[in-house]
Amino acid sequence: MAPLLELVHVKKRFGQVTIAEDVSFAVEPGAAVGIVGPNGAGKTTLFGVVSGDVRPDAGDVLLDGRVVSRLDPAARCRLGIGRTYQVPRPFDKMTVFENVLLAAQQGARARGPESYAHALAALDSTGLAPDANRLAGSLGLLARKRLELARALATQPRLLLLDEVAGGLTDLEVGELVSVVREANERGVAVIWIEHVVRALLATVDRLLCLAGGEVIGDGDPREVLASPRVREVYLGTDAAVGESVT
Amino acid sequence: MSAPAGAELGSKGAAARGVTRGARSTTGLGALWVAVVALLAFMPYLVSQADTSILLNFFVLLTMATMWNLLAGYAGMVSIGQQAFVGLGAYGVLVLADAGFNPVAAIPVAAVMCAAISLPISLLVFRLRGGYFAIATWVVADAASLVISSNSSIGGGTGKTVPGMSSLGPRAFEEVTYWAALAVVVVAVGLAYALLRSRLGLVLAAVRDNEVGARSAGARVATARRIVYLVAALGCGAAGALLAVSQLNVQPASVFGVQWSAEMIFVTMIGGIGTIEGPVLGTIVFFLLQQNLAHDGAWYLIIFGSLAVAIAIWAPRGLWGTATSRLRVQLFPVGYHVGRPRRTRDVVPEPPAAPPAASTT
Repeated sequence: MAPLLELVHVKKRFGQVTIAEDVSFAVEPGAAVGIVGPNGAGKTTLFGVVSGDVRPDAGDVLLDGRVVSRLDPAARCRLGIGRTYQVPRPFDKMTVFENVLLAAQQGARARGPESYAHALAALDSTGLAPDANRLAGSLGLLARKRLELARALATQPRLLLLDEVAGGLTDLEVGELVSVVREANERGVAVIWIEHVVRALLATVDRLLCLAGGEVIGDGDPREVLASPRVREVYLGTDAAVGESVT
Repeated sequence: MSAPAGAELGSKGAAARGVTRGARSTTGLGALWVAVVALLAFMPYLVSQADTSILLNFFVLLTMATMWNLLAGYAGMVSIGQQAFVGLGAYGVLVLADAGFNPVAAIPVAAVMCAAISLPISLLVFRLRGGYFAIATWVVADAASLVISSNSSIGGGTGKTVPGMSSLGPRAFEEVTYWAALAVVVVAVGLAYALLRSRLGLVLAAVRDNEVGARSAGARVATARRIVYLVAALGCGAAGALLAVSQLNVQPASVFGVQWSAEMIFVTMIGGIGTIEGPVLGTIVFFLLQQNLAHDGAWYLIIFGSLAVAIAIWAPRGLWGTATSRLRVQLFPVGYHVGRPRRTRDVVPEPPAAPPAASTT
């Protein structure tokens, strides 16, 4: 069985700065993978490469064993890649329901009542249903992050890319978010989650990648990866939160 | 549409909610619009010939403004070259009438031809964005005008008379052209409304708010823009075809004039860009001003200019947008509303002790 997602020798530079130097890894259907790494390690850029926002200088992205490197973000979303952005990108002048409905109608190609059902289900699972008729622009940070997640879920993804959805939230809120992500994962959606809040990751993922300097420097069981000397060396002094949870 | 939507949603108590279009009942609005169109259809019997002719020009400008509003107000494409399709629509009627077609029957044909021509043009101008796009559309319009002017078989630079309408008496001519114009504007506004209520309308709104977010949620942005560009060419082509039929004379300098774009932009801006109602209100204001000020010569242009500047500065959402920002009135509801099923008597009352889910499954 072909992996759901495969990155093959992906390379990306912005000017003199190398963001990804020969990054390769594969994700099986239904997997839950976390990605950690210091700021500037190229995590978000890597998501861009997978979702189609960023064109790599070299290497390929495969979905279901098929090369999708030339497809634009909309086409990749329709093939089953749903993503959230670190800074939420809501459609401010549309209602919360309309935000999610767009994702159901475009990403999941649903119509009429079916699209309404997808949208309402995504609002239910993220707890946004009471705000369905509010304008997205009037939401606070937590609700915006939830909306970002609801929109990605409404595209009915097979692969969900989460970019720091837990940042800036309280412990209680992080707990709620973890349960939403786990629920999606239990339904068979593969999850790749970039997160600095490591305890959220450890509650969800069964595999952890560590990126640094454009390379994968750790890959495997989350606790083993965090305990490995090379990962600790990269992190020490650069990120207090991770430093604490490792020790 | 709304009632079965609630019934089909199975999961997590969704059956208790219905999804409706707009926050209020739309049946009353539908009746209102039918009444307005019916009243307008009887106008040739109610008002003078001069007033009928003013109304006809009103419909022509409203058609153009509705199209420009779709382009700029919804799809973010500021075109100052829509007169390309006005002119091509007019010449489409001329060429078809020369070939023996009935000019009125040629209106839809000319409009479809304009939409067909707009596809290759879109491949060209869509490579540019913002101000560059605007200039490119103007260049295309001038190029089209030059090509037509240099073709002497269709009248060259001086233009030509549209044949085929002389069999009608003056009264019948007035009525037929009026109804043709009314039909075109009803179809144009109706098409714009249908487009904005459709899935495409939601895509346009999302792209306006956040293009990157829209793409990542699966929206095909370029396709959406291209459809709008085609529809706008279709509508402006129909407006130009109406000009040819009603004026019975087609001149390149007139039908390809940039004043058409200026008027489309003016009425859309003062009425309220990004609302269907805006161009309607803007066109009404434009014609009222024109009728009352035209005899003051250049003054009326100065007043138009000052009005446009004043609205751009103090009421950028236009007259309609400013007036309705607090009232939330919508004559053309395009949004969605999640709520309980509209007719509450349809919901079977639940026994007080039963869990909510038990009655729905």
